[in-house]
Amino acid sequence: MSKLVHLLGFVTLNVFLLPFLCKSFSPETPTDRRVLVLLDDLAIQSSHSLFFKSLQSRGFDLDFKLAYDPKISLQRYGQYLYDALILFSPTIEGFGGSIDQAAILDFVDSGHDLIIGADANASDLIREIATECGVDFDEDSNALVIDHTSYAVSDTEGDHTLIASDDFINSNVILGSKKIEAPVLFQGIGHTINPTSSLVLKVLSASPSAYSANPKSKLSSPPSLTGSAISLVSIVQARNNARVLISGSLSIFSNRFFRSGVQKAGSAIKHEKSGNEQFLTELSKWVFHERGHLKAVNVRHHKVGEADEPAVYRINDDLEYSIDIYEWSGTSWEPYVADDVQLQFYMMSPYVLKTLSTDQKGHYFTSFKVPDVYGVFQFKVEYNRLGYTSLSLSKQIPVRPFRHNEYERFIPAAYPYYGAAFSMMAGFFVFTAIYLYNK
Amino acid sequence: MARSTSKDAQALFQSLRSAYAATPTNLKIIDLYVVFAVLTAAIQIVYMAIVGSFPFNSFLSGVLSCIGTAVLAVCLRIQVNKDNKEFKDLPPERAFADFVLCNLVLHLVIMNFLG
Repeated sequence: MSKLVHLLGFVTLNVFLLPFLCKSFSPETPTDRRVLVLLDDLAIQSSHSLFFKSLQSRGFDLDFKLAYDPKISLQRYGQYLYDALILFSPTIEGFGGSIDQAAILDFVDSGHDLIIGADANASDLIREIATECGVDFDEDSNALVIDHTSYAVSDTEGDHTLIASDDFINSNVILGSKKIEAPVLFQGIGHTINPTSSLVLKVLSASPSAYSANPKSKLSSPPSLTGSAISLVSIVQARNNARVLISGSLSIFSNRFFRSGVQKAGSAIKHEKSGNEQFLTELSKWVFHERGHLKAVNVRHHKVGEADEPAVYRINDDLEYSIDIYEWSGTSWEPYVADDVQLQFYMMSPYVLKTLSTDQKGHYFTSFKVPDVYGVFQFKVEYNRLGYTSLSLSKQIPVRPFRHNEYERFIPAAYPYYGAAFSMMAGFFVFTAIYLYNK
Repeated sequence: MARSTSKDAQALFQSLRSAYAATPTNLKIIDLYVVFAVLTAAIQIVYMAIVGSFPFNSFLSGVLSCIGTAVLAVCLRIQVNKDNKEFKDLPPERAFADFVLCNLVLHLVIMNFLG
């Protein structure tokens, strides 16, 4: 009997713990994150160690596995084992274990983050995963991005596939507030962004003189990908706030590129260190939600002069609305400061649209008069900004008309009308009397 | 065709007055009552044009009470007029009772709507 009780207790405990075992990024449990790194070759672990060390120093628990390891899996008993996945296995044709293309896409669909490092000779599997994320790699499997004007100067003349690019996306939230001075070294394949996808952003674009072709063969026909349409590194923020980083080069993450100096062709400045480390560290902070992840809490609204939230408002009530917005900084929730957060009082269309005032400490507030229209309204905050997770809050609230006894009585302007109505009644009595006694 | 002059208008007015002098007194009382009601309505409309239509329900009930009174009075006048053959079988007492009842209903509604 006592065994049964123990068992029951264990089952109940598990049911309560289940939500906390889930590992995707959630505002409640944003720390202690596990990352699965899938490699072609364990040598990458040491040749790209600077990138991995920067992740580990920020508290990520990296789990290195060979991509064809038959024991790897992303989830067990329906629970994901990892928060994020790094695919540094550009040539893999089929993953080991239970991982396949659908499993990886499900992983992203459930809100987890993904970094894809493709490279020359990227496999069809990696290309298909990238296509599902909204970027298309150059179909020619031997093609590399070539740039004869903004290549990185090196001792040997080379084939100009080692590019020094400094065409970054202009966003402090994605690349950090510190400007990246040195160009980023890139050697790999180019991709284009699927024009139907509005969620993909080019973070690092090729220069207008770049093109994608096989450097070893003669160019017989015009290359299909040219100019700044070529994206070198792209990011995706899905509608569920999962973030994906897609790079056409694996060596961009390598220690060799991190440490190497760089001089862009045609430029006299020689940088001691390439921009790769800063670029990828900042970008990985964004991908792993250490920047630009917003949460809204303490949504409150009440009538002016009252503290409690009413279940219903009356037309023409004056009300106050407030909300706290925080941004995850990697270690704690910091107040988010902006001056463009807007509130809608919405029924089919916004009847009131107000920019919220802020106290610069993450508290946003406003007050307004309920419109002279009754019905079921919503308080809506729709906040979509480049690089930030989208905030979409709505709270339903009914608005009722005046009650019968809430109308104004004895209005001075209406006294003549009252007088007329009563004089008609008095007149009726007088008329009746005169009419009847007139005989 | 002879041109109309102010003399014609005067003659018309004179004949109207002399004909009206022959009207029974009880009908004259009703006429006075109707004029009183219509004038009160007119004053309110002028007032509304000046001040604005803000308590519109009050305005409506004030004006409609006047117009309703006038209409009921006119109905009473038609029914008690001896020259009116249509209501020759209706006793004037019955007509007056109808008038009183309708007035009660009218003013009940007006009081509700006055605000």
